[in-house]
Amino acid sequence: MERTEILSQVTDIFRDVLDNEEIVLTENTTANDVEEWDSLSHIQLIVAIEKHFKIKFTSPEILSWKNVGELLETIAKKSA
Amino acid sequence: MEFNSLNFLLFFMITFAVYHLCYQKTKVKNIVLLVASYVFYGIADLKMIPVIAVMTIILYFLGVKIEKFLNDDNDQKAHKLAVFSAIIGLLPLFYFKYFGFSVESFAKLFSTLGFNTEISSFRILMPLGISFFTFRLVSYVLEIGRRKMSAEKDFLSFATYVAFFPCIMAGPIDRPNKFLPQLKTPRVLDSEFLTEGVRLFVWGWFTKVCIADRMGEYVDAIFGNYQDYGALSIGIAALIYPLQMYADFSGYSNMAIGIGRLLGIEVAENFRRPFFAQNVAEYWRRWHISLTGWLTDYVFMPLNIKFRDYANLGLIMAVIINLIAVGFWHGANWTFGFFGLYHGLLFIPLVLSGKMNKKTKITWIKGWLISPQNFLKMALTYCLVALGLVFFRAESIGVAFDTIGQCFTGLGAVCKEGGKLNIAVFMFSLMILCVKDYLDEGKFKFGILKTGEKVWFTNLQLIGLIIFILIFRGDAVKEFIYMQF
Repeated sequence: MERTEILSQVTDIFRDVLDNEEIVLTENTTANDVEEWDSLSHIQLIVAIEKHFKIKFTSPEILSWKNVGELLETIAKKSA
Repeated sequence: MEFNSLNFLLFFMITFAVYHLCYQKTKVKNIVLLVASYVFYGIADLKMIPVIAVMTIILYFLGVKIEKFLNDDNDQKAHKLAVFSAIIGLLPLFYFKYFGFSVESFAKLFSTLGFNTEISSFRILMPLGISFFTFRLVSYVLEIGRRKMSAEKDFLSFATYVAFFPCIMAGPIDRPNKFLPQLKTPRVLDSEFLTEGVRLFVWGWFTKVCIADRMGEYVDAIFGNYQDYGALSIGIAALIYPLQMYADFSGYSNMAIGIGRLLGIEVAENFRRPFFAQNVAEYWRRWHISLTGWLTDYVFMPLNIKFRDYANLGLIMAVIINLIAVGFWHGANWTFGFFGLYHGLLFIPLVLSGKMNKKTKITWIKGWLISPQNFLKMALTYCLVALGLVFFRAESIGVAFDTIGQCFTGLGAVCKEGGKLNIAVFMFSLMILCVKDYLDEGKFKFGILKTGEKVWFTNLQLIGLIIFILIFRGDAVKEFIYMQF
């Protein structure tokens, strides 16, 4: 799957889970850039992404992401 | 050596002078800081110097090794080594703080089951500051393992971060990724840092000696002899104890942060007016922030990730385990475990209603008065916290229940222990603290010792406060409560 396609699908998941249609994600977006993105909604986002892409992340993967770009990288690797 | 003692003043004046004489020489400044930190810690507990030194060396090399694995794209090995390093880092803490307690608890369990155990009671004397410097070490290796920072190449900076004397005894627990970069800068003393440092130090000194110490005499007299009192006195003691803890611990933290500023270093925040919290979750976001932040990152988050498929149940389990860990961090006693469990249970309604992480806002009527609805929520949260602290400070869970039970024997007389002057001083000082926090919480244009005010006005307030402290402080220098943890 194309990286831009993954980004678009992840953006839809973010908008749905965080209930904010105005969220625009880029590769460099971090939790500090999205108001509703906190430690709890982070887990909800992960569960939704795993369900959508039918993949399972490991704890070290989840804990090491610094921005959306790194999350997309892991999704691309796992769903390849 | 307490921050509010003459010995410390002398020690700090020498350190401060030597430190700032090394104008812009970063490395020399770090050497001065490291030597001062080891001297400070050595005076408190000489036999612990080899422990902190050896742990610093071991974790320094483990950090380098973790990074090497990451650079070789061997993430699995890096992760395993980071976890192993964290365990190594925690070993001294477990040995000194929990080993005796675990052996005792097992011995009790076995004797309950009918087995004979020889061990009756043994405890290893817990060294000062161990809960704080081990958490700094563990944070370092875990952050490298999570790719959140690079391993520190300069051993001197790393050793200085671990042993930084203002924070070694009772925190705040600084994170390496915020602290270490500061040790690379020249840290020239500017007027802003100087004013801020003195302001924070004096304010911390004031809340410690004029509120916490004086209130402590009164509260100790009641809790120490609870059988002699009834609902009135025990109620008063339970209700003011959170304020004593706050004045004591935030006092220490402010002094530590102030000393940090005088050395040109920004130390982590530890308190954000906790009694304006409108629920228990918010209280924990405002109280002992550097510890709760640490445990959120390294205990709560991994657990929450592990339990993520169990929705709210998983979240509740992660919260409860995390808060029990917060409890036991304070010491090896079932009272602390109970205290953590109690707070964990208080989170359940917040998790189920989805309010756990929701930011609450205070409605200010006419711009200056807290709305009755907000005030009631704050009061309820305060009372729940106060009840939990009865268990926190009791010798055993049984004593805590007995103390609460004593309230049902009658109203009893109001305790007047410590004298009228003592009560008057802490009541007046407490009023100043409440007014300051109220004005700060409301982000009013004016406040007490407010940052950014005119220098002459800040200095005037400082002089007034120092005179007040010198006249009304207690006779003896008293230890900070959190030093025992």
